[in-house]
Parts: sequence; C-alpha cells; structure tokens
Amino acid sequence: MADVAIPAPGTARRATARTALRLVHDDPQLLFASVLLALLAALAALGPVLWPQNPLALNIGEALRAPSPAHPMGTDNVGRDVFARFCAGARISLSVGAIVTAAGAAFGSLIGLGAGTLGGWLDAVLMRVMDAILAFPPLALAMAVTVGLGVGLKTATLGIVLTSLPYFARLLRSEVIKIRTLPFVEAATAIGAHPSWIMWRHILPHTLSTLLIQSAAVFGYAILTLAGLGFVGLGAQVPTPEWGVMITNGLQYALTGQWWIGVFPGLGVLAVVTATSIIADRLRDALDPRGRYAHL
Amino acid sequence: MIRTVGGRLLGSLAAIFGASVVSFLFLRILPGNPARLILGPLASQQAIQQQVRLMGLDRPIYVQYLRYISSFFSGDWGFSYSNGRPVREVIATRLPASIELGLYAFAFAFVAAVVLALLSTYRHRPVVDGTVRAISFFGLGTPPFWFGLLLLLAFSQALHLLPGPEGRLGPAVAPPPTVTGLYTVDAVIAGQWGTLGNALQHLVLPAVTLGLAPFAYLVRLLRVNLLEVSREQFITVVRSKGVGRWTAYVRHALPNAFLPTLTAGGMVLAQLLAGSVLVETVFNWPGVGALVVDSILRQDYAVVQTFILLSAFAYVALNLIVDVLYGVIDPRVRTPTGAR
Repeated sequence: MADVAIPAPGTARRATARTALRLVHDDPQLLFASVLLALLAALAALGPVLWPQNPLALNIGEALRAPSPAHPMGTDNVGRDVFARFCAGARISLSVGAIVTAAGAAFGSLIGLGAGTLGGWLDAVLMRVMDAILAFPPLALAMAVTVGLGVGLKTATLGIVLTSLPYFARLLRSEVIKIRTLPFVEAATAIGAHPSWIMWRHILPHTLSTLLIQSAAVFGYAILTLAGLGFVGLGAQVPTPEWGVMITNGLQYALTGQWWIGVFPGLGVLAVVTATSIIADRLRDALDPRGRYAHL
Repeated sequence: MIRTVGGRLLGSLAAIFGASVVSFLFLRILPGNPARLILGPLASQQAIQQQVRLMGLDRPIYVQYLRYISSFFSGDWGFSYSNGRPVREVIATRLPASIELGLYAFAFAFVAAVVLALLSTYRHRPVVDGTVRAISFFGLGTPPFWFGLLLLLAFSQALHLLPGPEGRLGPAVAPPPTVTGLYTVDAVIAGQWGTLGNALQHLVLPAVTLGLAPFAYLVRLLRVNLLEVSREQFITVVRSKGVGRWTAYVRHALPNAFLPTLTAGGMVLAQLLAGSVLVETVFNWPGVGALVVDSILRQDYAVVQTFILLSAFAYVALNLIVDVLYGVIDPRVRTPTGAR
C-alpha cells in the first residue's frame, strides 16, 4: 500500500526545481533577493580565498583609512581591513542563522508533532512550556540565556534557538491537529497503518511547506537578534568580526567622520534579513494560500 | 464575559508563573555562582559567601524560588553595585526618559503606519504601494542601532538639522522643574517654551529610530487588513447608499481594519522594550535601555535580571489587556473557541 502513490524517482524533484526557477524568473524582487543572498553566501564561503587578508590582523599604521582599492571598505580604528571583517561577519551571521533555523525547526517541530499527535498531559505540559517562553519579549529571553550561561557566541545562539522554538512548535501542532482529521488519514488508519507510519508518511509531508515558510522567517530573525546581542555586548565578544559588534565599534567613530566602520556591517544585516523576508513572503504566497501574515 | 476574562486572567497568571520559572532557571540555577554574578567580578570571597546566605542559595530549590519571587513582588530587586544604589531606585530614576521616548516613538509609528497604509490602499497605485512595502521591509530588516547611526550621520553630521547624541537636552539647557519626569510635558507645565523646543528637537531622531520597527510591523498589518475590509459587502452597501468613497473608507473601513491591529499591541511593546535597549545607547539617551547596556558592560547583572523579568511581566500584562479589550470591542471572539 505504501508504494501506490509514489511517483517515479526524480520526476518530482525536477518539477520542483523547474517551478522554483519559473518563480524566480517571473518575479524581479525575488530574483534580486536570491541573488543578494547567494552573493553574501559566496562572500562568506570564499571570502578568505577572494580577499586573503586576516580579519583580526592589527595594523596601527593603516588605521581609520577611508575605502580605497587597497581596502574596499576602509580600515577600522586599529587598522583591520573592514572588508575582510565583513566577509568573516557574513560567515558568522549566516552560520548562526542556519544553525538556529535547523535546530529550531528540528526541535520545535518535534515538540509540535509530539504534542499534536499524542495529546493529553504531554500536550498540555509542552504547550505551557512554550507559553512560558512566549511570555518574554524575544530579545529579553535571549539576554537571560546569555547572562545565565555566560556571555558569548555559543550561548547567544542557544538563546536565539530557545526563543524560536514556540513558533515552530505551535505551528506544527495546529497543522497536525488539522491534518489528523482529514479523510486520507482516517483511511490510512482504517487500513491498519501504524500511527508512527501515518505520522511519517502522511502527516509530516503535509507540514513541510508551513515549516519552510516559518524557517525562512526565523532565519532573518536569528541574524537580526544576533546582531542585537552583539551590539549590547552579550553576543560575540570584542575581537570577533561579528556584524553587531562591528557596528558598536563603528559607532564611536561615525561622528568623527569614519562612517565606513559601522555602516558596512549594518548593510550586511539589512541585506540578509530583507532578502530572507522577501523569500519568506513569496514562499508564503506560493505555498500557503491561506495565511498571508502568519509570521513572527 | 466574566468567565472569559477570568479564563484569560488565569492564562496570564500561568504565563507569568512560567516566565518567572524560566528566568529563575536561567538566572539563578544554571550559572556557576549567582552571588558572584550579582556582586560583580571584584567581590571578595567573604562577601560572596555572605551573599550566598543572604540570597538563600544554600537552601532547597523550591525555597529559593519562593524567596526569589516574593522578594521580586515586594519590590526588592537587589542592589546595583556599579551604581551603589538599590536596583529599584536606579531604574526609577531612568524610567521617565524611557517612557517619554517610548511614547513619542509609538506616536510616530502609529500615525505613520495609518497614513502610509491609507495612501497605499486607497486607490490602486502600484508605485506608492511598492514604496510602502519597501519601507516596511527596510524597517523590519534594519538593526535599529544601525538605523540610528545612519540618521545621526545624515541629519546631525551632514545636514546639521538636528542635534547629535547629546541625550534629552542640549548641554546649555537646564531640565524643567520635575512634575511628570517627561521633559516635554514638564516644560509645557512650567511654560518654558524654549526648553520644550529643545527637548522636541532631541526627541526626533531617537523616536523615529525606535519607532521604525513597530511602524513597519503595523503598516504591513494595516495594509492587508484595509485591503480585506475594503472588499467586504458592507462597504459596497455604504457606498450604494450614496456615501462618498473617502468617507466610506475612513469612517467604515478604517475602524474595522484597526481591530486585528490591536492584537499586535503586545508585539509592538516587545519591539519598544527591546528597541530601548538597542537604541538609547546610540543617542546617549539616559533611559532604562542604556542603563541595561551599561550594566552589561560593567557586569552588574542585578540590573539586567530585573529588566528581563520586568519586561516579561509588562509583556504578559499588555497581552492580557489586549485580549480583554478585544473581547469588549469585538463580540465575535468572546467564546473560548473563538479566542485562539
């Protein structure tokens, strides 16, 4: 019974790729967002190869130089190359965004699936825990985690993951509860399929589009929050080329004329977050005909 | 009605309880030594042991939790070693500045959101609509502290139109006699128009910076709601009765589009709270947010902990108020099933 509805392997994937290409082709904004994100990802991945300067190397003689061919984004107050730091910052931000999204989606959906399928006291307990997390403004909870567990990039990431859990869990739970009552699930139950098989084969695939939309939204949120934590001194610590930390550093020099130290890393955050929110928006339009603003 | 309000109240109490447990867990149980966290890096071993006893850290966990929460509610929020004063006093002196900034930021966000949402939906104007959507993407994607920096560069440094990061008033201007603590209100009460002008000038950039994210959020929400409501049948009915297009829009569509926006109140407060931490430092604004950042730098975590718990309580309280208000305004959601 399991192999009845499975299309020839590869067909579905090819069709999805073609649909994605057509979507991008028909929509200049989406094209722009995708190209921007791809560009930043390339800078993050290939930065050390393309621009072989050490983002941590001090060079007092070259301090506070304006952008020039030798330093496309200038140098900061201790002579570090801002472009090298920008690329390193892209690497940090994009990886933290990816880690938060993956961990949040995995654990959040596990919680949501568990609560939605098993119900009963487990559902009640899990959802109360999620409510407790939602009782904090997200930045405040992330701050609590970093203050409690020790300041740094790792704890900041952990804190952001924690704040992202309820969004996934609540969404997945409500989806599961909705899908569980649909005729095809009842049919599978009537045939005698095991509940875990039904979950895996019949319910989970139907939640994937919702999960994808939410993931795109969380990705941008994670990067913005990481920059905020770095800015107040709870995220990455000082020599680390993290965008939020770099903006804090640039703040002192902006008003004496060295605007480039703080402005470029902020542009990076803006570019990533805007690109992902455009992509999340379009995903929502393409995949989810119902909710148009069920976002963070 | 009373039953639903009671239900919401219970739900909020549960949320506050949960929030207090979470913050207790993170700020009291997990770190190596909360006493050192409170006393700061320079405290002596003896002082730390005394603090451990004082905080009851040698007692069972549930006793610790009860003490933690009861001292919080009795207003004993600990001692800020870097300021040499109780946390409550320090926060109280900083609060008016934050409230004033928050109010102006909210006013800006709200008015701008209404105006731009109306502009982008009243007629089919793709250019206007596209611009508004672009602005809202910008607002939601910008780190607020960075946007503040850009505004300072443009309006203070390049154009010399507005003051730089001097705080609430220029260096030569004395604060008005304290009545409310809000300089603009106090200046009006005292009749000091020069001071009022100066305070307003100093408010423009921080308020716009802080209001940007809530504005972007509200304008997105309002735009979608307005589009939906303006397609409803009752608008057609009102129009067919001879009411003008503008009147139908502003008098009938707008109020209905506002309803769902009310639920965003909690979100807006969260953005303002977080924003104050991220924005005040940029402008040297002497508010609670800047206090929190200073305390982080000095490792004076008693202040930070209080801020975190207080903001959770404010957030839960506002969400409760919004829920109840929503039930009063929109009878359709009064049943428990309609609430979620």
